[in-house]
Amino acid sequence: MSVRTNYTVYESPRLQILSEDQKEKILNGMMRTLQYTGAHVHHEKARELFKKAGCKVDGVTVYFPPEVILKALSTVPPVTEVFPWDGNKEKKVVVEKNRSYFGPGPTPPNFIDTDTMERRKYLRKDANIVARVCDALPNIGFVQSLGSISDVTNDLADVYEFADMVRNTTTPIMSWSFTREGCRDIHRIAIAMAGGEEEFRQRPNYIFYGEPISPLVSDFHAIDKCMYCAENRIPQVYSPCAIGGGTVPATHAGQLVVALSESMVGVIAAQLINPGTCVIIGGVQSILDMRYSIYSYGAPELSLLSSALTEVVQYCGLPMYSQSGCTDTKKMDMQSALEASLSINAAMMSGANFVHDNGYTESGLTGDVFQTVMDDELISMARVIERSFDVNKETLSVDVIDSVGPGGHYLYEDHTMKWFRTYWMPTLMDRNSYEGWVEEGRKTMKDRIIEKTRDLIDNYEGPRGKVPAQADKEIERILQEAEKRAKESESK
Amino acid sequence: MSSDLGKISDALTKGNVDELKEVVQQALDNDAVPADLLNKGLLPGMEAVGQKWKNGEMFMPEVLRCAKAMSGAMDILRPRLAKEDLGSAGKMVIGTVSGDLHDIGKDLAAMMFEGAGYEVVNIGIDQPNEKFVEAAKEHKPTLLGMSALLTTTMPRMGEVINSLKEAGIRDQMAVIIGGAPVTQEFAEEIGADIYAPNAGSAVDLAREYFESKA
Ligand code: B1M
Repeated sequence: MSVRTNYTVYESPRLQILSEDQKEKILNGMMRTLQYTGAHVHHEKARELFKKAGCKVDGVTVYFPPEVILKALSTVPPVTEVFPWDGNKEKKVVVEKNRSYFGPGPTPPNFIDTDTMERRKYLRKDANIVARVCDALPNIGFVQSLGSISDVTNDLADVYEFADMVRNTTTPIMSWSFTREGCRDIHRIAIAMAGGEEEFRQRPNYIFYGEPISPLVSDFHAIDKCMYCAENRIPQVYSPCAIGGGTVPATHAGQLVVALSESMVGVIAAQLINPGTCVIIGGVQSILDMRYSIYSYGAPELSLLSSALTEVVQYCGLPMYSQSGCTDTKKMDMQSALEASLSINAAMMSGANFVHDNGYTESGLTGDVFQTVMDDELISMARVIERSFDVNKETLSVDVIDSVGPGGHYLYEDHTMKWFRTYWMPTLMDRNSYEGWVEEGRKTMKDRIIEKTRDLIDNYEGPRGKVPAQADKEIERILQEAEKRAKESESK
Repeated sequence: MSSDLGKISDALTKGNVDELKEVVQQALDNDAVPADLLNKGLLPGMEAVGQKWKNGEMFMPEVLRCAKAMSGAMDILRPRLAKEDLGSAGKMVIGTVSGDLHDIGKDLAAMMFEGAGYEVVNIGIDQPNEKFVEAAKEHKPTLLGMSALLTTTMPRMGEVINSLKEAGIRDQMAVIIGGAPVTQEFAEEIGADIYAPNAGSAVDLAREYFESKA
């Protein structure tokens, strides 16, 4: 009998940028920054909370000693589940190490009109389109709107967006809001969809997204919303848009130290308020283009920084909010595809938990659902590489190699029948023969993306019909109340 | 004199903040004509910097360092200059409007104006409409700049312009606006004088505007 000994198996490959020592150095950089430089927190109650926990507070500056940081890190949950409101297990999101979900991004002012293909302001109807298209795409694991609605009451763009989107997708949404009030409205809508407060507590159905300001500032609304989420145990993201060379140091290690530090303020606040509540950190990490002064969404540094931060964040025991599938180009073209495929592959190999901005164009100023549809295909391709393959007796195939022998082919083999379906199948990429391609209308990638997207928009209904009447009514009521509140505050 | 100018343009284009102050002070001590230091030394120096930037030989941080050096030199020079010497480069008040916390774009614009010889009062982010009007009354700028990065805060810019009108001081200054979602159309709609799509072009656009009014 032969016995296999000391055999090492890699389940899936991984992009590794930092060594253990380097991760520790960056973590310690964060500890030093928070202890000695401190962070601004423009929220009296939050400062009181920190003070009570043992932080030094001087004016708006809070200094966090390492023990406060470590204590917060000791109560972050190892796993949190987010449930689709219709109970579909396939779409459940598990916030846990070694699980990754890709999705679009929030709030650009512009959108590529799906009929005219021209850039214009983002409208309410677009939120519906994005929700339904994302609901249909198999590789999109969470949903954001790709825009901020311009044709509703100004201060309620956040609430309308959630109200419309949640009824058009069961894929968990990552929502945002201007203030705590918007947060509360959104939360009430989520509770209506969950069927009650207790039901929500058992099965949270969305994640909230908020942002501190680089460098090292938590403005009132950002930390206020963070505290609201913690109080209500809403899983949340608290992560900055750090601009390398602008709002954070031009060195990548320095950028990660600052980005990690400002996120940690939210982690600490949330854990102090409600130990065990889920906080995801990371954020947009890229550089200021020093020629055109734009925040680059296609830079290779975006992938490098995000992948490295993923390692550090996971080293802290936290889930990572990363990004990919985005571009600096203005129109769907080769640049958008090239930048997206590079960043999607890097994000996939880095093992980040939530990878957003799939569908961002024009450096984050225009949402493009066609880009999201293209990204969906790229994500599935990157997954093939990430999944890797097994090496065992069956897959080594020594027996079938022996039975076919030199010469011949494998097409008839049972072994082939059993395995060939594990090959990745394109839905957009062309592998037709030249003649076949001509016959089918000489379609380019762009044509196929447009066709697929429009087909989904026209024919995919989504879950709108399944929304319980009671929830529907409740949502309309919440919107009416929000309108009333907005009118009152305007007349003040 | 010409060696002073050489030193000035050298220190400026290298972005040596302290050195530039020193050479400008020395030149003044040696009885140089202040207007010459500006027109034959600093401004051509900044012009060269701008050109190098456009050609992709210099980048934003380097340009900003030069602008900072320029601004330091101007602090020394300004009290010695007559109003006419300054050309269109006067005083500027700049800030990000109420409810808006984005500051880097506004800061870039402010620094570029400093580099062009403006005396810039940067009032910061999230500034209520009244603060713009107060600052305009207090500092009497030739140019008022507003930045907004959110579609929800853009309307504040129109409100500030209206408040300036109500205060009877609108025609005492030009108004320039910018920020990612802002457009030329919007600028016209609210009655701003200049729309700048980016910080680099803002200075040129302001100069063109003032020249067209002169
Ligand atoms: C007076 O004369 C002039 C002349 C020219 C002027 C000028 C004035 N001002 C600007 N210019 C021009 O010159 C500059 C250089 O060429 C340019 O300035 P910019 O500022 O455009 O360019 C900078 C050099 C680099 N660019 C930037 O600094 C902005 C980058 C993006 C990613 C961005 C950032 C970084 C931030 N953000 Co905000 N943020 C986004 C931005 C998306 C984007 N790609 O622009 C935008 C603007 N943000 C947005 C949103 C929604 C928000 N942000 C928020 C917060 C933040 C951070 C704090 C995290 C951070 C700011 C940090 C800081 N220290 O400034 C929130 C609002 C906070 C508030 N009340 O202001 C929040 C509401 C998010 C939330 N859920 O909380 C979106 C706006 C959507 C809309 N409909 O308006 C957004 C487009 C992002 C997106 N893709 O959705 C020109 O516009």
